[in-house]
Amino acid sequence: MMVPTSTVRVQPILRDGSLTRESAGGKAWGIQRMLTLGIPVPPAFVVTTEVCRAYHAGGRALPAAVLDEVRAAMVHLEDATGRQFGGTERPLLVSVRSGAAVSMPGMMDTVLNLGMTTAIQEALATETVDPAYANDTRRRFLEQFENVVQTTPPEDPWAQLDLAIRAVLDSWHSTRAIAYRRSRGLDDDAGTAVTVQAMVFGNLDDASGTGVLFSRDPLSGNPAPYGEWLPRGQGEEIVSGRADARPLDALAAHLPSAHDELLAAARVLEHDARDVQDIEFTVQSGALWLLQTRSAKRTPRAALRCAIDLQRDGVLSVAEALDRVSAEQLRALLRPSLDPSAVSASPPVAAGKPACPGIATGVVVTDADEAERRADEGEAVILARPTTDPDDVAGMSAAVAVVTELGGATSHAAVVCREMAVPCVVGCGVDTVTALAGKIATVDADTGTVYLGELPVRTPVAAEDPDLVLFAGWLRDALGDSEADVVKIKERHQQRGGL
Amino acid sequence: MDIDRLRVLQTIRLKGRVLPADLPASAGVDESNCATITQDFLTSGMAEEARGRLKLTTAGRERLAESLATERDTIDDRTVRDLYAQFGDFNTELKSLMTRWQLKTADTPNLHDDPDYDRAVVDDLAALDARFRSLLARLVDTAPRLGHYPRRFADALARVQAGDHSWFAKPLADSYHTVWFELHEDLIGLAGLTRLEEAAAGRAE
Repeated sequence: MMVPTSTVRVQPILRDGSLTRESAGGKAWGIQRMLTLGIPVPPAFVVTTEVCRAYHAGGRALPAAVLDEVRAAMVHLEDATGRQFGGTERPLLVSVRSGAAVSMPGMMDTVLNLGMTTAIQEALATETVDPAYANDTRRRFLEQFENVVQTTPPEDPWAQLDLAIRAVLDSWHSTRAIAYRRSRGLDDDAGTAVTVQAMVFGNLDDASGTGVLFSRDPLSGNPAPYGEWLPRGQGEEIVSGRADARPLDALAAHLPSAHDELLAAARVLEHDARDVQDIEFTVQSGALWLLQTRSAKRTPRAALRCAIDLQRDGVLSVAEALDRVSAEQLRALLRPSLDPSAVSASPPVAAGKPACPGIATGVVVTDADEAERRADEGEAVILARPTTDPDDVAGMSAAVAVVTELGGATSHAAVVCREMAVPCVVGCGVDTVTALAGKIATVDADTGTVYLGELPVRTPVAAEDPDLVLFAGWLRDALGDSEADVVKIKERHQQRGGL
Repeated sequence: MDIDRLRVLQTIRLKGRVLPADLPASAGVDESNCATITQDFLTSGMAEEARGRLKLTTAGRERLAESLATERDTIDDRTVRDLYAQFGDFNTELKSLMTRWQLKTADTPNLHDDPDYDRAVVDDLAALDARFRSLLARLVDTAPRLGHYPRRFADALARVQAGDHSWFAKPLADSYHTVWFELHEDLIGLAGLTRLEEAAAGRAE
């Protein structure tokens, strides 16, 4: 494959390109793979790991010609987008990302919207007819740049790019990255690449927007693609869960060719990865761009359904399909759940992040001492706290469930509840769950939802579930084992090296 | 209030309810001294016993708050806040280690049936502990009352490395996570902050 204009140090990422993971890093390699599959990806170039090695060998000095090569490679992005980096007419903004052959913590995070200046903010405001968006994009750029590069961005876009590239190269030797490589026995001299990619705009005009697409429904596992579309939306906004997001049909009606191209791309990517894909996309003036694809997170139900369907479609063998559903997922499918009709009849009073699974009903108490005392007296109590202190732990251990208003899935409350197997929902929002003090509530920590009152619980039966019956049959055939319990036989499968 | 008394009082508060037998190790005060101090707190109405466990009374909590405020007056505010900010980076790292210890993916618990997986996490905890020691030493220099923490961390880590993995995160025992959680609470107090403010800022969820 001929590579035009650039030397080996800075390379455009091209369809059928021959960049290796070692020299271009995982991210650039992934972009090349997508391009090779015929997937439309915003144009990008990569500063190879060779530059990183030279930079550190020279005492943190960028080889003289590299910035010239970066300028030359930028022409590839400008030609492909019809925009100009640093230009005030149709300005081009880029993202800058680190990317080693093996991804590792401690490396510099992404800088988006690089190339932004006061003049370019104005140009974007005029072009998008959306001054608020241009203002917001600049603000987010300033924050992210200062955060990640640890300095205020200069007004010169090329100087911004220079600083961001150096920050990525410096982060190769961050304390965390060094510790990680040491603990994994990874080569300290491998170096990181820097991927520079054109930003695309979902808010340019009426033929623009952004969305997410799952190649199959991640909740039910239904084989029809499932997605959401936000007309005139811009990439970073999380589309999913937004009130004004529309179903995929809206894209089909409004921009049929982009829609068809998207579904075709989803099929190609699913087939290539041999797994359900979660795809982020943007349409800019009618042209479809895929920003990211990854294996989709899915419910246990969807995991089972997709494994069976992908086997039926000839994508997976039975042995591979068996590896796609874990004993834990099967256990979750058989776990008691709230009666769906009761759930639809009682709107949730609070919702947060599930931190430790389980369902429990009890009286809401906001003080750990009171929780312990009432639990000792035989009451089922739900401990609701703004956040948990060390001296709440005894009360937490006595509660049937714990709910907090602040904090995420790695919070102390989450860690402690998981150790004690107490159902736990975290981060429900200020003044949500503590306001329920004294009331009876039901906590569904599988979904992260809190309901008022006692909701009936339903216990599934494996023999009544055709997917489970089929999957258990496959497991018995594969292991030559007559065990009837699908979870037990799956555990044996995993013990014998299955996934 | 002398350091030993303050350590015992604060340890009772951090534990909520504590078995008298667990106090000396957690507070870093020798057994006979701890027994004398505890008896004194019971007599003076600062602590009470309920079903074999010690807890602070309202008077005990007030006395503790006063003593901690006095302690804070002797400590350079900027130094503590600077050290606390450095603690924040380690805290983020420790929390992600705890998550790796408990969960293999967002919805797959670590059943601790894969020795290689567990060993890698334990190795990372040991590496973090080694890097954290110098900051911990500076914290102790600044606030001598925290002088019992290095020993508590070392004990928990030694037990984990000896193969008793419950000392990684077990609640209601001086596991590595419990000691960390308590140190974090102490630092929030020394920096004159509250856990609620810190949680809202995403630093002490």
